[in-house]
Amino acid sequence: MSRIGVFVCHCGENISATVDVAKVADDSSRLPGVVHSVDYKYMCSDPGQTLVKEAIKEHNLTGVVVAACSPRMHEPTFRKACATAGLNPYLSEMANVREHCSWVHDKGEQTTQKAFDVVRAMISKVSNNGALEPIKVPVTKRALVVGGGVAGIQAALDIANCGHQVILVERSPSIGGHMAQLSETFPTLDCSQCILTPRMVEVAQHPNITLYTYSEIESVDGFIGNFKVKIRKRARNLDEDLCTGCGLCTTKCPQKKIPSEFEQGLGFRPAIYTPFPQAVPNKPVIDHDNCTYYKSGKCKVCEIVCPTKAIRFEQEDTILDVEIGAIVLATGFDIKRSDFFPEYGKGKYKDVIDGLQFERLASASGPTQGMIRRPSDGQIPKKIVFIACAGSRDPAKGIEYCSKICCMYTAKHAMLYKHKVHDGEAHVFYMDIRAGGKMYEEFVRRAIVEDHVNYTRGRVSTIYELDGKLIVKGADTLLGAQAVEIEADMVVLATAGIANDGSEELAQKMHVSYDEHKFFAEAHPKLKPVETNTGGIFLAGACQTTRDIPDSVSMASGAAVKVAALFSSDLLTREPIVARVNRIPGPSHSTCVGCFMCQPVCPYQAIEREEIKDRAGNVIKSLARINEGLCQGCGTCVALCRSKSIDLLGYTDNQMHSEVLSVLEEAFV
Amino acid sequence: MDNLRKKAKELLESKTVDLVIGYENGTNGKARAVFIKDPEKTGKLIYDDRCKQNLAVYLNKHEVKHYGKIAIVAPLMVMRSVLVLVSECQLKPENIVVLGIGEDGSLLDFPSLEVVEKYIAKIPLGNPEPDQVIIDKLNAMSMEQRREFWQNELERCFKCYACRAACPMCYCLRCTVECNQPQWISAPAHPLGNLEWHQLRTMHLTGRCVSCGDCGRACPLNIPIHLLTMQQAEEAFHMFGVRAGTSQKADSALSTYKPDDKENFIL
Repeated sequence: MSRIGVFVCHCGENISATVDVAKVADDSSRLPGVVHSVDYKYMCSDPGQTLVKEAIKEHNLTGVVVAACSPRMHEPTFRKACATAGLNPYLSEMANVREHCSWVHDKGEQTTQKAFDVVRAMISKVSNNGALEPIKVPVTKRALVVGGGVAGIQAALDIANCGHQVILVERSPSIGGHMAQLSETFPTLDCSQCILTPRMVEVAQHPNITLYTYSEIESVDGFIGNFKVKIRKRARNLDEDLCTGCGLCTTKCPQKKIPSEFEQGLGFRPAIYTPFPQAVPNKPVIDHDNCTYYKSGKCKVCEIVCPTKAIRFEQEDTILDVEIGAIVLATGFDIKRSDFFPEYGKGKYKDVIDGLQFERLASASGPTQGMIRRPSDGQIPKKIVFIACAGSRDPAKGIEYCSKICCMYTAKHAMLYKHKVHDGEAHVFYMDIRAGGKMYEEFVRRAIVEDHVNYTRGRVSTIYELDGKLIVKGADTLLGAQAVEIEADMVVLATAGIANDGSEELAQKMHVSYDEHKFFAEAHPKLKPVETNTGGIFLAGACQTTRDIPDSVSMASGAAVKVAALFSSDLLTREPIVARVNRIPGPSHSTCVGCFMCQPVCPYQAIEREEIKDRAGNVIKSLARINEGLCQGCGTCVALCRSKSIDLLGYTDNQMHSEVLSVLEEAFV
Repeated sequence: MDNLRKKAKELLESKTVDLVIGYENGTNGKARAVFIKDPEKTGKLIYDDRCKQNLAVYLNKHEVKHYGKIAIVAPLMVMRSVLVLVSECQLKPENIVVLGIGEDGSLLDFPSLEVVEKYIAKIPLGNPEPDQVIIDKLNAMSMEQRREFWQNELERCFKCYACRAACPMCYCLRCTVECNQPQWISAPAHPLGNLEWHQLRTMHLTGRCVSCGDCGRACPLNIPIHLLTMQQAEEAFHMFGVRAGTSQKADSALSTYKPDDKENFIL
């Protein structure tokens, strides 16, 4: 027979103001199996916990029910208290009479009755609880960072500096990400590449970091501490040990007019190329789609000119198998291009460009050497219109959110333009200026006051071309929606930041959840912003939502600490709330019939195939087995199993059934 | 029929299979299942309109399974059942030879299950016409009328579980109704418990039922319970585009998640 102790908490007045706690404790004491029942002002306080501990010893309790707040809040507290008193921590349960009762109901008899019902249900459950032991799994102390932008670089460096091995995978030929493309950074206007490239070099030279560029994640298996990852290292068509990065091949390549991805289509690159001069690694790749040799079978100029004979046309992709303990996703973001906006010319006006293109125009290493020249004819524009919130905060375009970075970079763009073209006119159309951040508001003010950028609050309805000018039609909502028309030489759209191309596929490979906009989902919006719902996979930077450089870097460091904490011990301790397939004596061995229909429902790939063999080694039965390291205890398989062969430890069918029945008991009476 | 007997004899003689499951003449002019090990006895095999039972039900029986390789006389519903059993890991493809019977009663040549899949892909699948007519009538009723209909029908059930025994997909070692810790479904036959059992059976067969109708034929009280699973078969097809028994690697409707699954049933 169970010996259960019930501890009803007043939670100051949070519970006792609406629930008659003394009555709940008194009524509970008369329930079968209950040998001790008290109420106390703050059960979670030290004296409160002592009440629990002493009662366990004094009454030799076999189960504890604490009627207080949500288990989210204090379950660990009371489990710990039970453990110190010598009771298995999983023999304690929380009855939530605060969030589920006192907070949501008025004072009254019914409220007290409901509190009692909740307590009674948990008493029924706890009398069916069994002792559970935490699960220990080993940890591979090697991290994988996916994405080599500033967030990935920071995370990789931080983890590597903690003394752990890091594999950094980047799908483009060089690390650096969007930050390498930027001209200057707000709010200090320091050169983006100048502050980033030393970090890039540090990554390349760090003894703990293995860098795989031009590589992608092929598949991910396993679980926290024990991932098995396949990395596809795409063929650069070059012997990387021989290549010195002299660049002779890139200068001699006859294909010179390929729009450069790095230059956002404003500049050109050859078919064998490094994306930009400071690329890390500084080794070219061959773009098969545009290479004359791959298209026609002739050319091989690069092979002929290469002084170290490093070109390998026959090279193929290689698949690397690596064992990984933790993963940081830092795959960044992308922006909507100007062709997304039919009202602004659907991308057909060459001088309507997006923010990243403007960054390249303003960059000293860009296609115009930092001169602001319009793409159509190379003239210096005398009047530029910047349109903030192009796409963002626009439910009609399917993007309800604020892209967060555009207000700041638009101010920066206008400022940079005014610094470079002194007699130029800069107009900004905005909805609201969101300049929250250290020195951000001051920065925008400076653009308006010192650099005389004209800010107009209102949206632009249309842009059309007339006699070589772009006619921008908008409204000034601060002047009663008065129509505004500007004849501009160039228009820069601060287009919405969106999830990076391929993020959905990656999320599915990683079994990480993502939101409706395909940004990766954090485990908790406030308290677990860098964790995902999949153990051992963390987020850094703009793959979670668009964010600026300081935010990305701090998030990366946050993720790195999570990885370092995970790697701080050799064994990982996990809650034993996992599903288990029952086992019974032979010849059946289990009621599981091995239909394996539970396999596809498991979101964590935790269900494996177990073969039961006779002494001669013949397989006599296949049945499902749950990998305790992977299982997150969601219970989906339990619900699906037709023969009820799976049970969730801590929430067994028996426990739940008796809990539900005890609630219904009252209803039937 | 001669082709069928000849083929069965060949298979047994060449030891390609150890057992042939088919139909033979039973008593009272009915056809019944026959299990043939001896090549000389293949002359017993018949196939005609009386052969309605879904023979696949035997494939998962312990007594049959230990024979090893089995050939089975398979009209469409048996072919489909075989594919369901393979997809649910209850049958190894190398252990089964399908003696397919075409719609005209002729023997089909199926060297492998892939060929069976191809054959089924060409056939319009759905519930048998007479059953679908009744289902449509039931669906046209109001919810109250329908509930009354089923309550009246299911009230008579005395839980002999013949429906379960007749179904090739009901192969669990321990059925949920036999689970007594905790007891999910009450054991005695009473209106509420009967409803629970038949709802459970229907849900467990959703997306797995091949509309053979054997459960209804097995019912000693002639309760048309096959209509329940048949309705679910159509439902699964309309909701998820899944027909049971069309592929060896079928994604079961209820255990597969696809991002474009319909969610309109969520209130």
